[in-house]
Amino acid sequence: MAHDRVESCPPQGRSADLGDLFLRLEGVSKSFGPTRALQDVSFTVRRGSIHALLGGNGSGKSTLIKALAGVQPADAGTAMLGGVTLDLRQLSPQTAHAAGLRFVHQNDSTFASLSVAENLAIGSGFATGVAWHIVWREQKRRASEAIERFGIKAKPADLLKDLSPATRKMIEIARALQDIDEERPGVLVLDEPTAALPTSEANTLLDAIRRYAEQGQSITYVTHRLEEVFALADEATILRDGRNWATVRPGDITHDELVSNMMGDDWESAKKTRDHEIGDPVLEVRDISAGATRHCSLAVRAGEVVGVAGLIGSGRSSLLKSLFGDLPLESGSVTIDRLPVRHGSPREAMHAGIAYVPEDRSTDAVFPGLSVGDNLSIASLSRYWRHAVIQRKAERADSRRLLGKYLIKAPSDASLIGTLSGGNQQKVVLARWLRREPRVLLLDEPTQGVDVRARAEIYQLIATASRSGTAVLLVSSDFEELVTVCDSVAVLRSGHLIAVLPAADLDAEKLNALVHAPLAS
Amino acid sequence: METTIVDQDPPQSTDGRQSPRSSPSRIIRGFEAYALLILTVVVGAFFSFWGPTAETFLSAGNLRALASGNAVVAVVALAALIPLIAGEFDLSVGAIAGLSAVLAAEAISSGLPVILALVIALIAGTAVGLINATICTRVGVNAVVTTLGTSIIVAGVINKVTGGRTVSGNLPTEFLRFGSGSTLGLPNIVWALAIIALAVYYLVAHTPYGRYLYAYGANPQAARLVGIRIRLTVGMTFVLAGLIAGSAGFLQVLRAGGADPRVGESLLLPAITAAFLSAAAIKPGRYNVGGTIVAVLFLAVLNSGLNLAGVPPYVNSIVNGVALITGVALAVLLSRRKA
Repeated sequence: MAHDRVESCPPQGRSADLGDLFLRLEGVSKSFGPTRALQDVSFTVRRGSIHALLGGNGSGKSTLIKALAGVQPADAGTAMLGGVTLDLRQLSPQTAHAAGLRFVHQNDSTFASLSVAENLAIGSGFATGVAWHIVWREQKRRASEAIERFGIKAKPADLLKDLSPATRKMIEIARALQDIDEERPGVLVLDEPTAALPTSEANTLLDAIRRYAEQGQSITYVTHRLEEVFALADEATILRDGRNWATVRPGDITHDELVSNMMGDDWESAKKTRDHEIGDPVLEVRDISAGATRHCSLAVRAGEVVGVAGLIGSGRSSLLKSLFGDLPLESGSVTIDRLPVRHGSPREAMHAGIAYVPEDRSTDAVFPGLSVGDNLSIASLSRYWRHAVIQRKAERADSRRLLGKYLIKAPSDASLIGTLSGGNQQKVVLARWLRREPRVLLLDEPTQGVDVRARAEIYQLIATASRSGTAVLLVSSDFEELVTVCDSVAVLRSGHLIAVLPAADLDAEKLNALVHAPLAS
Repeated sequence: METTIVDQDPPQSTDGRQSPRSSPSRIIRGFEAYALLILTVVVGAFFSFWGPTAETFLSAGNLRALASGNAVVAVVALAALIPLIAGEFDLSVGAIAGLSAVLAAEAISSGLPVILALVIALIAGTAVGLINATICTRVGVNAVVTTLGTSIIVAGVINKVTGGRTVSGNLPTEFLRFGSGSTLGLPNIVWALAIIALAVYYLVAHTPYGRYLYAYGANPQAARLVGIRIRLTVGMTFVLAGLIAGSAGFLQVLRAGGADPRVGESLLLPAITAAFLSAAAIKPGRYNVGGTIVAVLFLAVLNSGLNLAGVPPYVNSIVNGVALITGVALAVLLSRRKA
């Protein structure tokens, strides 16, 4: 192994009160059949500190959190919290809660059509009077208290749907922490709180989290955004293949060191290398309008990766959807290899050689309850339909081969897709399309919600496809990603394509300015 | 303060990772798959040895009645199974079977050739299925509402045709003899079921169409985005359900030697129950053909035993209801644990 492991470092508290150990996990192990998800993991969260939990695909982060929450019992291990020892083999969610463990999960769990006061009360109970009617005055008072304590910019009567994503997240945190204080201390576990937030919103939330820690709240924090670790965390525990690989202080380590500790050797090789020729135009789009997209024209050549930058509502998603026949074209024309494409349905688009990885994996791409193999072959069944029967043997042999070829970590092709991590599910979706050897590959946020390692592997798969002559159109809200992965980037603003610029002349800052700039009249 | 941040030994390939351990999960999975079948055998064994039913339950007459009486239920259950795989409910399969039975019986008793009566039964079933398909996939009315509506309409048509009286008489004796006869020790009606079950099994397990049904049932939105023609796929389920329910109607005439205008109602609940219960057997967590047959068998053995034991009919109803909810609850728990 080429990478160096970071030496452990003696703890030197950020401030004097940071010292006392608050949550201590000891010897946590968990196996699923022959797979060891966690092996003897131990680490400590200090009072009033932020402890990041990092790791790549299948490193065991979510298994660890589930064990700690009492949702899924561990095979071994204990958690010591404020003098109480919890047995993780038989911890119930109620016991975990009573011991002071609080969890805020990745998905939004607020109720959009209810008020701030109501959202806060769900979880702590409503203040009720005679005949269980809700005493709204008392409810409002409690909400105001929480709002003040957690520094939330909202009023008790505001509806959640009118608030920003960061504020909603803060209300979730406040809801989890409202009964936690000096006398009743606890640990807050945040699972990727910023995953769904745009940068400015994420910063607001991170400021709030830092403030809570300074007020003495102990926080454990799972994230995929490594820059946050440097901005926020006092310590970071890196999980790798189910073991704690290292516990580090972000101040003592560089970004690259952190990544190579998490990822191992394969990270460097995943960086973009453009060593193939770019050929003739494959996809040519002329003046198309569909949904939010207005009069866009662009061309993608064989072997080229063209990025699409734009804000939500700029027409970036409707551009891809209309190219895949999922959104009717109002006007304009599309050709592939100079042949006109009929855009009536996804089926016709597929026949024309187009593949599409949608933005929302769980609602638009994955078939839960079906096996990995079934998910891989669903768009290629006709090739196994011989002698009036699906050739299961050939199909399964291909599926097993595809697992290796597309870097999918799965126990077997017969495993249910729901048992895979998000990154591996995404690679299954990508493999489903790449195996068809499409002429045009449309990708909408292909690395959203996947960890660093899977992200690198997905880039590698995109690069391989483009090397074999596929024209790739990539929508991403991660501008770093666009300038790294793409040959050129098309900028969309209010549905109009305002520029196509070579990636070499761009950086994330410039792209940011371009997509935000007001339209010249 | 003590150093508690430990840097652990680098991972080494431990022996535990590769060693093939005895896999209890496989055994459990096997048990899950056959639990309902085993339960059926246990219940059957109980009634074979239990005093009040020991003499009658295992008698050839009872077994024959059990098999042929439930073959029609099984065919209707297979009809309901196909839309169910795609996540759609077809509540009209019982009514369709009733309609086809009545039309076939009328046709035969009015002197038409048997083969023509079969064609009429199949066409009638397919036609109702086509109406269901059109209303569901073209107009976009919910399948439960659509098929509930058509089943009420069909009940009306049946009443119009029969005047509320059982259609019988005038059936050729050859026809009746074939219907109650056996080949190679099995009732002919069970052979008919076997052929239909094999055809449905082939369709759902070995064709792309079957795979699309399961995919659509798992995620309709994603199904569209992998190029599945969803209106055609879903619409076909109702047409096929109609066709199969129509054949069930014909088999009912063959078996009973006539057509009771209320037979559809009596077929619907056990058939739907079995189709749902199929997710609890053979391929746990998935509606499937083998599971459907096992479920019909289970309900048949249970009810036959209870009848022979002389329990009042309300006991059967309660037992059937409990069996349905328990079975489906188990299937839900199984699929939740795996997801």
